[in-house]
Order: sequence, then C-alpha cells, then structure tokens
Amino acid sequence: MKQGLFSQFTLIFQLGVRNLWRQRRRNTILLVSVICAITGVVVLNSLIRGMQAQMVDQVVYNLNGHITLHAPDYRSDPAITRGFIEDSEAFTRKLESVKLAGWASRIKIPAVVMSERETRGVQIVALDPAQEHISIVADLPVEGTFLASSEDNRIVLGRALLTQLRTKIGHRIVVVMQDIDSKSIEVGFQIAGVYDSDSEGMEKHVVFVGKHTLQQFLGSESITELSLRFNTRLIPPDGLEAISKAFPNLEVVDWKNIDPILAFMYESVNAMVYIWLAIVFTALVFGLMNTFITAVLERTQEIGLCKSMGMKSSLVLYQVVTESLIIMLLGLIGGLLLSWGVLQLLGDGIDLSAFAAGVEMLNLAPKIRPAVVWQDINIVIVATIFLALVASLYPAIRAVRLDPLVALKD
Amino acid sequence: MTIDILRLSNVSRVYGKDATQVRALTDVSLSIAEGEFVSIVGPSGCGKSTILNMMGALDQPTQGEVHFDGDSLSEMSRGELTDLRLQKFGFVFQAFNLLPVLTAAENVQFILQLLGFARRERQSRTEAVLDALGLADVADRPATELSGGQQQRVAIARALVGEPALLFADEPSANLDSTSTRELCELLRQINSDRGITVITATHDPLVMSYTSRSIHLEDGRVVEDKSNL
Repeated sequence: MKQGLFSQFTLIFQLGVRNLWRQRRRNTILLVSVICAITGVVVLNSLIRGMQAQMVDQVVYNLNGHITLHAPDYRSDPAITRGFIEDSEAFTRKLESVKLAGWASRIKIPAVVMSERETRGVQIVALDPAQEHISIVADLPVEGTFLASSEDNRIVLGRALLTQLRTKIGHRIVVVMQDIDSKSIEVGFQIAGVYDSDSEGMEKHVVFVGKHTLQQFLGSESITELSLRFNTRLIPPDGLEAISKAFPNLEVVDWKNIDPILAFMYESVNAMVYIWLAIVFTALVFGLMNTFITAVLERTQEIGLCKSMGMKSSLVLYQVVTESLIIMLLGLIGGLLLSWGVLQLLGDGIDLSAFAAGVEMLNLAPKIRPAVVWQDINIVIVATIFLALVASLYPAIRAVRLDPLVALKD
Repeated sequence: MTIDILRLSNVSRVYGKDATQVRALTDVSLSIAEGEFVSIVGPSGCGKSTILNMMGALDQPTQGEVHFDGDSLSEMSRGELTDLRLQKFGFVFQAFNLLPVLTAAENVQFILQLLGFARRERQSRTEAVLDALGLADVADRPATELSGGQQQRVAIARALVGEPALLFADEPSANLDSTSTRELCELLRQINSDRGITVITATHDPLVMSYTSRSIHLEDGRVVEDKSNL
C-alpha cells in the first residue's frame, strides 16, 4: 500500500514538474513575481522590525530603562521633595530574583543654568557613573572628561547647551534649583566636559552632575528615580508584576508608559507587518489562481484522458495542488535567498541622517539596521504554503469536476 | 462453454432535455463473451462511441443495465467505476491518446504507477510490452515526437500493460494511413488471440471490421445486425 502511494505521488510530482516546464515562460514570470513578493515582504518586514527594535532600544537606553520607579506623586511634580531614600542593600536584595542587566539610582529635577552670558532651563540628572553601564551615559562621546564618581563636584553639559550658553569647558556656570525645603538655591559648577548625542533635544536639556554631590547641596539623601534594565530587549512577561510586588510603595512605570506615543507606534508596527503581508499575499493569490485556472483549461483533454484511464479524483486534485506547491516552494526558497542577499547589502543600515529631525521625533537612530525576526520568517513560510493550497484549490476542484467524456471531446 | 464478460440489457441513452433531446441509443441488448474480438460498426452518429462509453464505464445509460462479470455498473459508485476502468479495462482513443509531457515508456508506465507497482516491476513490464509491440527503439522519445501510428501503438501498449480483461478501441484507425491501419489491426488480433484479451472496437472502417470475429451493426442507435465474421 505504501509502495502504491509512493508510486502514485512519484507520478504526480513527475507530471507536475513536466507541466510547469512545458509552460516555462509563463511559469518563470509567475515564479519571479513570487520571489519578488516574498523578498519584498521579508526585507521590508526586517527594516520595520529594525526600526521597531531601535525605537525600544532608544527609549530604554536614553536614561529610562525598561522600568523606572518613583515616589507616587513625583511624575506630576518632579522635585526632590518627591524623592525616596536610597537603600542599596535593600534594592539589591529585592532585585536579585529578577534577571536584570543592572539598575541605577538617580535624581532628576528641573533647574536653570546660567553662564556669564545666557540662561537656560534644563533637567539635572544626578547619577553615579559606576551604575550607568545600563544607559546611554556609558557610551556618550565626551570632550573633556565625564564625571569621575558620585562625589565629583563638576558638571557635564551637552554640546548644544554649551553653544547656547556661550561658555567653555573649564568655565563655571551657576545652577538654580529647589532644595528639600523647596527653597531656591544657587550652586556653582565647573564644566568638566561636553557630550555629543544623536538627540539635539538631549544635548540642550540634560546636564549631568554627581549624585552624592547634589544630595549634599539639596540637603537630602533621597533619590527621585530607580531605573532598571533587563538583560532582554523587552520586559519579560512577569517582570513588571515582580517589580511591582517588590516595591509596593513606589510607582512602577514601564517604558510604554514613559513614552506612550512610542508604545502605540511599537504596537502599530506589529499590525503593519501583518497587514503588509496580507496585502502582498492576497494580490499574489489572484495571480496564482488565474494561472492555474488557465493551466487546467489548457489541459482539459489531458485531465479527461487521465480520468478515463482510471486516475482517481483525489490524484487529479493533488496534481494541480502539487504544481502550485512546487512554484510556491521554489519562490519561497528564491525569495528567502534573495532577501538574505539584500539584507547583507543593507547590513550597515540605511542612513536617515538627512531626515534628522523626523528621525529624532520617532526616537530612531540615524541609521536603520534591518532585524530579522524568525517568527516573521516562519509566518511567511506558513503563509506561502497556505497560499499555494488556497490558490490551487479552486482550479483543482474544476479539474476534479471535469467529466472525462466531455473533456476528451473538448 | 463461453462466459459473458459484458452484457447490455435494454440500454437506452438520451442526451439533453425536452425539445433538445437526442436519443443516441434505443433499447440495445447484447452480450460479449470472454475472448471475443468485436467491432461495432455503422455510419457517423449511429451511437458507436456511445455504446463503447457505456461498456467502458465512462457513461451511464438513461435506461437499462450494463453488467460486467455479472456486476451491474449502475450500482457502482464513481470511485468503484474509476477502479474498474483502471484495473479491468484498457482504452485506446481515436485521437489525443498520450500525455505530451511524458515519453513513450513513461506513458506506458502511467497505468502501472496508478496501479501502485514498484519501480523495478514497472520497468520490466514496460520494456516487455514495448518490445512485444516493436516500440523499444522509441521508448525514450517524447510522445509529441512520435508518428500517428507509433502513438496509437504506444496507446495500445499502455492499455495492455495493466493486463486488462477488456480492451476498448474507439476509431483507432481514424488518423492512420492504410499501412498503419493494417499493422494496428494485426496487433489487435494478436493481442486477442495470444493474450486472450477481449477486444471491442468502434469503427466505420471496413478494413478494421474485416479483422474482427464479430460485427455489431448500429443504425440510429439500434442494433440492426449482429453477425460472426468467422
């Protein structure tokens, strides 16, 4: 019985290949269109996924982390009075069960900086450089020097702010802020260095000082934020819940809440990928179906001959489906190989620096690097096979319904 | 004692409905014995192909019964009729006999593949039948490169390779010259006498009829004469 089935399927495959070869010009055009469609889907999806990954990386990397913890009312009034006490031992103990890349405690408060010529509003970020391997701070290119430690009493500015303040490295600037008693204080800092960033907004508005130094000026041992970064691109499924349980008295904010517009865009991209796939494959299904209906009509007599000699209806159906599967699988292999080649060419990324303002608004890096998501590839593979079956089913049923006598006389 | 392999009882076949009705066969009853070489003859449109299609389980009568080996074809399902055609019958059609994408040998193997024979068995049977029909030289040629006579012989080889009980040939000489027709008739007679296969052919060619042992004459869908040619 097994031998019988093998023998029949050998026949079906042989007839399928020969029939496709017989109409090689038409089928080559069809094959090329399948390859182009699959390449288009895979490459564009990889670029979209690359953008998506960069969006998340940028927001997580830019001093936010995957999750930040604040005192409950800090976000509506970001002042040192809305801080909470840093207890490193307790933090370490509570976080040891969570798989983190690291955590950093910071003070983030608004302030005004004044040089001898200009005044600007900024956000002071007081930090411990030793904890900042999880954020952009560790990789910022700095002219001059960055802060050496939490006790460093100098300040680091962005290049754009330095230009606005019309000052220089080594000069002193005055920072005006509110202390723990909500009184304005003025503190002088020497400029240790200037950092460059892809984001002009960050350069203009974020300045760095030592955490311990600022705590002394503010008269408080509080911090305003605990930033956590996981060792995965996204927060693990139970990560948010675990952190919320560990810190019941703090407000736990994930990156989606930190940047809801970006979160919406991130989710929209998921839908976009599947909508794009559906549009391309729907267009392809009609082309395929049309080709196979034509093929069945051209071979009416042959199908009639086969049926009159005793070919079962199921085998007639399998024959049309097999031809569709062969075309689609060849198209899939060709499409994946071509996609691989195109992605190799795009490996260094697509330079979007010409659209710097838009790129910054979308929280993207100036270069989009494609990212292959295997789940998307698997979906393309499954969709291709499904498409081959759907597109060939109607022509196959037409072939099955042919009356051998009528077909022979056609 | 002869055994009836095929029996038609009061078979009628009407095509179309109402005003467009065409009566192709009217109340035909006859029996074919095992091992006979029968020609069904008559002018064009007399119902030769229709009666052959009824006998070959390709069509169903509007009235009456067709029995093969005692079994009524009208009581069989579509799948059973398909199996019957594959396992018991061989067909040679007037034209368009071979699958153009296959070689001569592959066309012959086609039936064996449908029957589920293993590769080695298929090859040995195909070689044997092609040898017997003098087609060994053209075995690997594509069907489209064969002459009309060669194509008909390959079609006969394909019909024979599954060792059917009955061989149906519908106007097998229609596209052949007289030399090829004579060779074809010799071949059919040889198949009938050497292998004992019952051969039924529909023809209006007197040359073909002269080779058969029995002639059934049809006119306007009725049997008007049934005679032995021996």
